[in-house]
Amino acid sequence: MGAGVTAGTPADGLPARSRGVIALLEENCTVCMLCARECPDWCIYIESHQEPVPGAEYGGAGDPARAPAGRGRQRVRNVLDRFAIDFSLCMYCGICVEACPYDALFWSPEFSYAETDIAALTHEQGRLREWMWTVPPPPAHDQGQRPPQD
Amino acid sequence: MAPEEIIAAAGSGLPPEVGCEADHRGVMLRVPPGHWLAALAFARERLDCDFFDWLTAVDEADEGFSVVVHVYSLAGRHHVLLATPLPRSSPRLPTATGIYRGAAWHERETHEMFGIGFDGHPHLAPLLLPDGFEGHPLRKDFALAARAAKEWPGAKEPGERGVPGEPGERGAPGERGVPRARRRGPPHVPDGWGPA
Amino acid sequence: MAAVDLPPPGVAGRLGTGPGPGVITVDTGSGCSLRVFDAGLACCGVEVAAALRRGGALATATSGQQLNVFIVAGTVTDKLAPYVLEAFRDTPLPRRVLSFGACANSGGPYWDSYCVTKGVDQFIPVDVYVPGCPPRPEALLAGLTLVLRGE
Repeated sequence: MGAGVTAGTPADGLPARSRGVIALLEENCTVCMLCARECPDWCIYIESHQEPVPGAEYGGAGDPARAPAGRGRQRVRNVLDRFAIDFSLCMYCGICVEACPYDALFWSPEFSYAETDIAALTHEQGRLREWMWTVPPPPAHDQGQRPPQD
Repeated sequence: MAPEEIIAAAGSGLPPEVGCEADHRGVMLRVPPGHWLAALAFARERLDCDFFDWLTAVDEADEGFSVVVHVYSLAGRHHVLLATPLPRSSPRLPTATGIYRGAAWHERETHEMFGIGFDGHPHLAPLLLPDGFEGHPLRKDFALAARAAKEWPGAKEPGERGVPGEPGERGAPGERGVPRARRRGPPHVPDGWGPA
Repeated sequence: MAAVDLPPPGVAGRLGTGPGPGVITVDTGSGCSLRVFDAGLACCGVEVAAALRRGGALATATSGQQLNVFIVAGTVTDKLAPYVLEAFRDTPLPRRVLSFGACANSGGPYWDSYCVTKGVDQFIPVDVYVPGCPPRPEALLAGLTLVLRGE
């Protein structure tokens, strides 16, 4: 390599919070749809449905806070069917990672995922979970910064 | 030149129909279309604005268009903005290329993007748009075909299955569809652009 | 002060004498060498330039021929598309096409624009897509490895 090589190559170690690919921790996702709504490229595809939570009914036998006045409304929860990010469109702005209120999306510095077929650049849930194993621990807080509240 | 000096010079050198405003960015001259060339010549000669930065238009919806020019004086180090309002139907303005030759490409771009005619322009051909492009893209009523055609991924409510716009499958007890009236569209996409 | 006409661009005012497209030969070690034709249309062009300066280790190829890789790095506008097609056709055979960055893959952040071609694969056959906005220079080298692996 000649002169004028920029620092920060993978051999030197990538900088903290490098943006390579986005990983999904499905357990934290409540399907609030905020990431899909805020994405400027419309490249996050989410499909879901609702399922009853067994044994949890408002006002029913399972709810101690309510008076037992008969069957109440069935409590439901969102179930994620499909979460896909189209990395051929993604511009790596990070708005989805910042918008997620439940910390289900993470940045990973991995960058070598070129494909020969453009459809393969749409990563589904399984592949997004695999990126989770490459997510580095969060960098230490800067000196003099206010301590974190949580 | 300080903003006050510019305003004073404009007050004495330009017709009274030209309005002056000063803010932190510089002085803005509001020029009726009939005095456009006179105001530009005044800016070049009397206000010493020899650097032509840009010319563009703003789509003001019901009020028509306004063509805005930004010029700068290298010696006096002051910015001057000149703006003129144009009616929405057949907006025309004399060309500024006689005073600032650099306005040639800016007027070509403004012409193809907004549909504003510049009388006397030497070569008002399209600059950036491909041949056969129809419409004036920077007008506010020009729909972006891609945003209109692609279904917004955020259209569904959390937990809603099925096609947006149609009632969701009522699979689980207690599961509700979202009332059509409350369905929101994608941000920054005006109503009426979406797929029919 | 009157309006002035400036001379047209080019060396000493002669049209068409400005810098032309760059051709860089990347030696992969044993066997195949890649000749890279970079259509650096926008920001991704800087990353390709950085990658080609660094070189780096590419995978050992199986064939012993010289392969020409046409890299489209940057946003393709509808106005520029015919010239990108011409540059592709001018790339000598055997040739592969590598689409570098989100704009060349699919239009990227400008997918909704009135003048952007939504992916260079709309008019050119693409062999490898490198995602990123912009991809790292090392991602280009990984993409070229994928091109070689296809041989």
